[in-house]
Amino acid sequence: NRIDANLVSRHKELQREVCDLTEAEEKLDELISKCTLQLRLLTEDPQNKKLGYVRCQDLRKSSDSPDQLVMVIRAPPETQMQVSEPSESYQVSLKSTQGPIDVFLCPEDSSGVC
Amino acid sequence: IGLPTNSAQECQNLEVERQRRLERIKQKQSQLQELILQQIAFKNLVQRNRQTEQQANRPPPPNSIIHLPFIIVNTSKKTVIDCSISNDKFEYLFNFDSMFEIHDDIEVLKRMGMACGLEVGKCSAEDLKVARSLVPKALEPYVIEMAKGPISNVYITGGSSAN
Repeated sequence: NRIDANLVSRHKELQREVCDLTEAEEKLDELISKCTLQLRLLTEDPQNKKLGYVRCQDLRKSSDSPDQLVMVIRAPPETQMQVSEPSESYQVSLKSTQGPIDVFLCPEDSSGVC
Repeated sequence: IGLPTNSAQECQNLEVERQRRLERIKQKQSQLQELILQQIAFKNLVQRNRQTEQQANRPPPPNSIIHLPFIIVNTSKKTVIDCSISNDKFEYLFNFDSMFEIHDDIEVLKRMGMACGLEVGKCSAEDLKVARSLVPKALEPYVIEMAKGPISNVYITGGSSAN
């Protein structure tokens, strides 16, 4: 009967779709893990590490407006950052376990020195 | 045959499964795209700095540069910031009397144009050429897709999974 036939074909179609999606997801998983590894190797390469910097004027230029204060935070890995609920207060806390945290302001003059 | 009720139930299960997978694929696609952007941005930055150093024949003064990784906090110049620091500089507490924004270094690199405009799908032919040259072959199709327009359209081949 017709309803059964429809159901069966719908069932088949869904099965195929889920199968395709499974395949697509596996491919993505693989690419993501490759990409993550590549990025890690890239950023951990000593030569790249040395050249992986921005200039102070880059920071200034990337800021939305000249009326902005730009604070730079450099913290060791695994430092925890907590931001308060904006409705309660504007608060940020930083907690490091592996070393001191560096905080400084980006200068506004054109000296290019941070 | 006693198929119908079972089959209907099965179809429903499959439908749920399909939705679930679609959602996860969407998430994973944006994750992959972000990783690709980071890779391109970082390589571009390193290349730019290498060229600049070669031209100047020396590295920039250490106090004029900031090494990755870092984060920035933006706020108005008028904002009063109250800051407490532990003696060892392991702990900080900031109180702002007004709104602020937090951005990661990748965001800064994007704004500097290091991601070739891919982050917003605005990419000139030249940009795209550069971007493609900075990723392994397997990722090129994703770069081309990102260059076409805003991120986060699901583009799976096969399966009529319009949603």
